[in-house]
Amino acid sequence: MPVLELREVTKVFPGVVANDRVSMTLERGEIVALLGENGAGKSTLMNVVYGLLSAEHGEILIDGSTVKIRSPRQAIDHGIGMVHQHFMLVEPLTVTENIVLGREPGRLGVIDFTEARAKVAEISQRYGLRIDPDSRIADLSVGMQQRVEILKALYQGASVLILDEPTAVLTPQEVRELFSVVRSLVSEGLSVVFITHKLEEVMAVADRIIVMRAGAVVGETRPSETDEVGLARMMVGRDVVLRVEKTPARCGDTVLDVRDLHVEGERGLEAVAGVTFDVCGGEVVAIAGVSGNGQTELIDALVGLRPPSAGTMALKGVDITHASARRSIEAGVSHIPEDRHRRGLVLQFDLAENLVLGDHRLAPYASRGIMNRRVIAEMARTRISDYDIRTPSERVLASSMSGGNQQKVVVAREIGRDPELLVAAQPTRGLDVGAIEFVHRQILAERDAGKAVLLISLELEEVLSLADRILVMYEGRIVREFSADEADAETLGYHMTGGGGTKLGDSGAPTPETDEAAERGAGR
Amino acid sequence: MLGDIITPDLFASAFRMATPLALAAIGGTICERSGVVNIALEGIMLTGAFFGTAAVLATGNPWIGVLAAMAAGVAIASVHAFASINLRSDQVVSGTAINLLALGVTGFLMEFWYGHPGTTDPIAVLRPIFSFTSPGGGFFAEIWRWFNGIVLSHTPIVYITIIIAVLAQWALYRTRWGLRLRALGEHPRAVDTVGVNVYRGRWIAVLMSGALAGLAGANLTIEQVGSFTENMTNGRGFIALAANIFGRWTPAGSYLASLLFGFADALQIKLQVFRDVITVPPQFFLMLPYVLTVIVLAGVIGRAIAPAAVGQPYKKG
Repeated sequence: MPVLELREVTKVFPGVVANDRVSMTLERGEIVALLGENGAGKSTLMNVVYGLLSAEHGEILIDGSTVKIRSPRQAIDHGIGMVHQHFMLVEPLTVTENIVLGREPGRLGVIDFTEARAKVAEISQRYGLRIDPDSRIADLSVGMQQRVEILKALYQGASVLILDEPTAVLTPQEVRELFSVVRSLVSEGLSVVFITHKLEEVMAVADRIIVMRAGAVVGETRPSETDEVGLARMMVGRDVVLRVEKTPARCGDTVLDVRDLHVEGERGLEAVAGVTFDVCGGEVVAIAGVSGNGQTELIDALVGLRPPSAGTMALKGVDITHASARRSIEAGVSHIPEDRHRRGLVLQFDLAENLVLGDHRLAPYASRGIMNRRVIAEMARTRISDYDIRTPSERVLASSMSGGNQQKVVVAREIGRDPELLVAAQPTRGLDVGAIEFVHRQILAERDAGKAVLLISLELEEVLSLADRILVMYEGRIVREFSADEADAETLGYHMTGGGGTKLGDSGAPTPETDEAAERGAGR
Repeated sequence: MLGDIITPDLFASAFRMATPLALAAIGGTICERSGVVNIALEGIMLTGAFFGTAAVLATGNPWIGVLAAMAAGVAIASVHAFASINLRSDQVVSGTAINLLALGVTGFLMEFWYGHPGTTDPIAVLRPIFSFTSPGGGFFAEIWRWFNGIVLSHTPIVYITIIIAVLAQWALYRTRWGLRLRALGEHPRAVDTVGVNVYRGRWIAVLMSGALAGLAGANLTIEQVGSFTENMTNGRGFIALAANIFGRWTPAGSYLASLLFGFADALQIKLQVFRDVITVPPQFFLMLPYVLTVIVLAGVIGRAIAPAAVGQPYKKG
């Protein structure tokens, strides 16, 4: 008998059917991956199971009997735990306080913290999830915070654990740890639903795969019966090119010329310690590196958000070393930022307003300081169709769009400006395969139009598939340069960790050095 | 002259002046820890002061006045709770509306019930709990005079306030209610997903702040002044809000910050006496507590971190 069964669950939002008669089962001790593109209805379905949303139709069965789940409280009482994509942790509180919140041990409303700590220690020992019960959440890395979330669900007595996009925020090292945690949980008799849109994860961890598209289940398979290409086809509904074809680069004049650039980081430490490189028109140069090795500071300096402490930068021979962000845009630098929510978009603005940001004071969008709404709306509609942004109109708020569509808005704005240099930082972070393919094509089209592209990415697959030249950055310096045909993931990984660490391709335990690098990446 | 200023009475007066500020500030702490901004403290305090006085005038019993003041505080706070929690309206707008409403309602009822504006007839007040006489002279008598003056000379609510501050501080960090309250103002959705009712938690917190600010009003009229005057709170609710911030959203911190403001107030009253010696306009002294508020906030606000979700209405689902 399945521990959890859904029958014909239908959830309707105004104007959209988010879940259309979805049925699925979950057996005891099983890991089921719920695979689908962003907006396929995976999270909605699980939010229904967890009582955060209520379905219009359908049945939920736990251990064979129908239950009504109207609130998270009831879900918890039925043994369902959920780790949300955005953590439900209270940052100033301690690990113990977060875990026991809502079910505090004690008498007469007074919390027995000794007992609470002991219970946390006991669970963390039983499942091998080591953690300091007295740390404040704000001081923990993202990977450790996720561990607290899992402990919280276990403390509440979960026997079914739902993980919503658990790897989106983790470093590769943390992903490996999570997978081993998940395996140890199911060996203890728990059942896990794993929501994701990443194909390689599904292949690595799932016992069974349920694929969703546009709110409905479109297929069910096992890792042994399929491969990534097959999964991608099921998920998107058409053939997807996982690695975009490209012609050899035709290198033109030098566009970006960086000489011995030094940039200070947040705490006044030197984050970029003298880098020299150039990018010519018609090529994609990628900077590969483990997060936290100076890439962020380098990007900030290039686009005028952080003044360099020494060195020079020039765009087509014009010095932009001390250019402000505005002058940098005027000089022809476009920037797809790492964090689209913080820097790429104003979430409370609508699509048209977001698309015109940066050019909002220039003709034809404005004259004498007055914006021309009609022209902006026309431009927005053109971009929407050119870049395949899925939205009912240009007046929709950016905050109400899916992550993939939001990224398309940023890409449309930055490329649509027709820049000389495109600085693309993590341009496909959090996107599903269909959207990744689209963004990759846009970047290559820009290259083929003779523009210079500087790509900064943590995804080696992306670097290898797009770049004509690859610079490896480690501790603020460029330690190696490869041409596209001489690089592979192993050698890149080797140099990204300082040349002394384990190669990323290895499956064995990483050395302390890679751990450190991974933790730097996870620190916030 | 210094000996005339630094007297037991100066410090005793600091505790007295601190009491209404501290009660409202602790109310503000509880309210804001739950995620609801409460700039209505001023209006709630005024409402409590008025209805407390009215109840004493009607019954002659000051304790009934205290209860009436708290009940009135809870009643008007429930308007703020409904507007900011259920209707999800802007909490600053709701608070401002309540401040204006309180000013209008108390002024109107003053005329309607007592037939004149300004100040009510004097009421029966709460007396200091202890009254000891000082024994003779000498060193120990001097020490006794200071101890008696600072510690033993107070009216009941002054002591109750200290007890409330200690109790609330303990409860915030040691009880289920306190843990949930701290979580509510930081990340209400996290509280919701572990099955705790966010709306109920916030309602309770807002009503508690109403009761405390109402009690602050009772202290003003039934212990300190002995009558009600229109707009007698005179910005104390806002100073209390500052004390809450200076005290970093903790009950004990709120009390100590209020004590600082109370001391400034006590000092300016003392200095008024010497306005013939120190030739500055009396308004200068009156200004002192407010100037101190500005200085303290300007100096501290960069470092004090408010609850993350304060001021944000919560919507389920």
